[in-house]
Amino acid sequence: MSTVAAHSVAEPSQLAKTIGGMLVATYAIIAILPLLWIFLTSFKTPTDSISYPPKIISESSVEGYVNLFTTRTRQTPEFLASLPPPQTWYERLVRSRNMVIAGPSKVVPRFINSIVIGFGSTFLAVCLGTIAAYAFSRFRVPLADDLLFFILSTRMMPPIAVAIPIYLMFRNLGLTDTKLGMILLYTAVNVSLAVWLLKGFIDEIPREYEEAAMVDGYSRLQAFFKVVLPQAITGIAATAIFCLIFAWNEYAFAVLLTSGDAQTMPPFIPFIIGEGGQDWPAVAAATTLFFLPILLFTVLLRRHLLRGITFGAVRK
Amino acid sequence: MNERIEPRASRFPRLLRRGPCEAVTMLLIGLGVVMLMQPFSLNLFSYSFVTILAGTLGFVIVSHFPD
Amino acid sequence: MSTLAERADARAPRRLAFRLSTMSDRAIAWLFITPSVLLLLAINIFPLLWTIQLSFTNYRANRPNAPLRYVGLDNYRDILSDPDVWHAMQATAHFVLWSIGLEMLIGFGLALLINRRFRAHSFWTTMILLPMMLSPAVVGNFWTFLLQPQIGLFNSVVAFFTGADPSSFQMIGDVALAPWAIVMVDVWMWTPYVMLICLAGLRSIPDYIYEAAEVDRASRWRQFWSITLPMVMPFLMLAILFRAIENFKMFDMVNLLTSGGPGSTTEVASITLKREAFEKWRTGYSSALAIILFVTVFGAANIYVRVLDRVKQR
Repeated sequence: MSTVAAHSVAEPSQLAKTIGGMLVATYAIIAILPLLWIFLTSFKTPTDSISYPPKIISESSVEGYVNLFTTRTRQTPEFLASLPPPQTWYERLVRSRNMVIAGPSKVVPRFINSIVIGFGSTFLAVCLGTIAAYAFSRFRVPLADDLLFFILSTRMMPPIAVAIPIYLMFRNLGLTDTKLGMILLYTAVNVSLAVWLLKGFIDEIPREYEEAAMVDGYSRLQAFFKVVLPQAITGIAATAIFCLIFAWNEYAFAVLLTSGDAQTMPPFIPFIIGEGGQDWPAVAAATTLFFLPILLFTVLLRRHLLRGITFGAVRK
Repeated sequence: MNERIEPRASRFPRLLRRGPCEAVTMLLIGLGVVMLMQPFSLNLFSYSFVTILAGTLGFVIVSHFPD
Repeated sequence: MSTLAERADARAPRRLAFRLSTMSDRAIAWLFITPSVLLLLAINIFPLLWTIQLSFTNYRANRPNAPLRYVGLDNYRDILSDPDVWHAMQATAHFVLWSIGLEMLIGFGLALLINRRFRAHSFWTTMILLPMMLSPAVVGNFWTFLLQPQIGLFNSVVAFFTGADPSSFQMIGDVALAPWAIVMVDVWMWTPYVMLICLAGLRSIPDYIYEAAEVDRASRWRQFWSITLPMVMPFLMLAILFRAIENFKMFDMVNLLTSGGPGSTTEVASITLKREAFEKWRTGYSSALAIILFVTVFGAANIYVRVLDRVKQR
C-alpha cells in the first residue's frame, strides 16, 4: 500500500514528467518553426529567400524591410551612373540592385489604418460592452438569456454571409472603403465578445461592494463608475486586447469592403509584389512586423486566454 | 447565469418539457447537418435545409418551455 | 438676494444630477443595454433581414438598375439541387471532419502531457499557443510560401525525412493533396485552442476522485476511461462545436492558401459563396446560400450555448 501513498495521482512520477516535457517541447519547436522561418526569411536577400534547396543560414540583409517601405524602379546602368551618389544606406542598397527609390510604399498608411480601425472599434466595443455587461450582470433584464444569445449569435454569423447586405448598405450610405464604416462594423462584431467576457468578469465582483457604497450615499451610477469599474479594470483590459486582436486580424470584411483608403494590413500583405511575383523577403518583413504586437499581447494575455476563447465561460 | 428559483411546472405535460424536446430538436439539427454534408445522396442534400430550419426554429421555441 | 432667473439657473444642473441619481435600476438597465442592441440591430439584424428579402429575388449587385423580380423559392431550389454546391459541402465536410479529428487527438494528447506540470511547462504552453492568435489570412498567405514545391521549407523537411524528391509533390497545386494542405494548416493553427480547453477540463477534475479510484485499485487505463474522459467530455464538446462552427464558415485562411483551387477541390462553402456573390455577382442566389449557411451555423450555435452553460456550471 505504501506505493500508492508514495505517488499521488495528482503528482506524476519524475520520469513521466520528463518524457511529457520533452514531447511538449518537441511539438512546440515544430509549431514555432514556420514562424521562425518567416522571421529568418525577412532578413534574407530576395535570391536567398527563393533558393533551392532552402538556405537556413544565409547572408543577412535588410533588403526585405527596405523593399517593404519603398517602391522602386529599375534603371539602366548609364542612368544610374549619371545620378548623384546615394545619400543614405538604404538608397545605397537599392542602388546596388540597379534600382532607384521612387517613393514610399503604401505599407505605412495601411499600418495606420489597422491601428486606427483596431483602436477605434476596440474603444467603442469595450465602452458599449462594459455597460451592457454590467446591466446583464446586476439587473433582472427581461428575456436576458435570449438577448445574450442574440448578442452571441451575431458573432457566430459567417462573415461572407453578412458581407453581401453590408456591402450594399455601405454602398448606399457611402461608407464603402471608409475607416468609419470599418470601425462601426468591427465594433458590432466585437461588442458581442465584449459583453460576454465582461459579464463574466463583472459577475465575479461581489455585489456587496456596490451595496456598501450605495448605503454610504452613492447613487447606482456613481457606484458603477467609482466601485465597479476600478474593480473590473483587469477584465476590461483583457477584453480590450481580445477585441484589438480580432480587429487587427480580420480579413473577410476588410477584403470585401475596402480597397484603398481604409484597407488594413491583412488584405494588403498578400499583394506586396516585387518583379515577377511575390517579393518574399518583403512579405516576410511585413508579416513579422504585423505579428510582433500580437505576440506581445499573447504573452500579456496568457492568464485570460481561456476566458477569451470560450466567451468567458471557462475561468480556470 | 441568472439564478431563478422556479417551481417545478408539474402541470406541464411531461413529454413537452424542455429537456426531451431540446434533445429532439438538437438531433434534428445534427441530422440536417449530416444530410447537408454527406456524399451519398443528392436527395438527402436537397432536404437538408428544411431539416435544419425545422430543428433550429423548433429549438428556439422549445427552449422557452418550462423545465 | 438673487433674482428668480439666477436661482432657476443654479437649480437646473442640480435637478439634472438629481434625475440621473434617482434613475430606477430598470431604467439604467435599459439605458446600458440599448446602445449595444441597437448597434447589433443596425449592423447584423437589418442586413440579415435584407439578405432574406434578397434571397427571394434575382437581384444582381453589379446591375442595381435592372428590374427586380421576385422568384419565390427558386434560388433555394436551385442551390439545393446543384451538384456543385453539394460538392462544396463535401469539401467542407472533409475539411471540418479531418481538421477537428486531428486537432482533438493532438490537442487532447498535449493537454494530458502538459497537465503533468513538468518544469517550465508554462513557457512551452505559451509557445504552443502562439499560432492561434495570428491572423488566419496572413497565416494562409505565408504557408503558400512554406508549401512551395522547391523553395518551400515544408517540402524540404518532408524530403529530408522520407528521401523523396522535394519537387516531386506540391501540396497546393495537386488535386489530391490540396484538401490536406488546408487541413494541415488549420491543425497547425488551432490545435492550441483545443489543447487549452482540454487542459481547463483536466484541471477542473478534483484530485480526490483519482485518490478514491486509487484506493479502489482502478488501473490507470480504467481511470482514464471512467473518470478523465467523462469529466472532460463537456469541455471536449465545447471545443468540437466551436471549431466545427468556425471551420464550417472558414474563409480567410483557405482563400489565401488555395483560394478554392486547384479547380474546385478546396472550394469550401464560404469560398463558393464569395465566388457567387462577388465574382459572378448573383446576389439573389448567393443570398439564399448565405441564409442556408447562416441557419446551419445558428442551429449549431444554439447547441454550443447549451454546452457552454453546462461547462459553466462546473
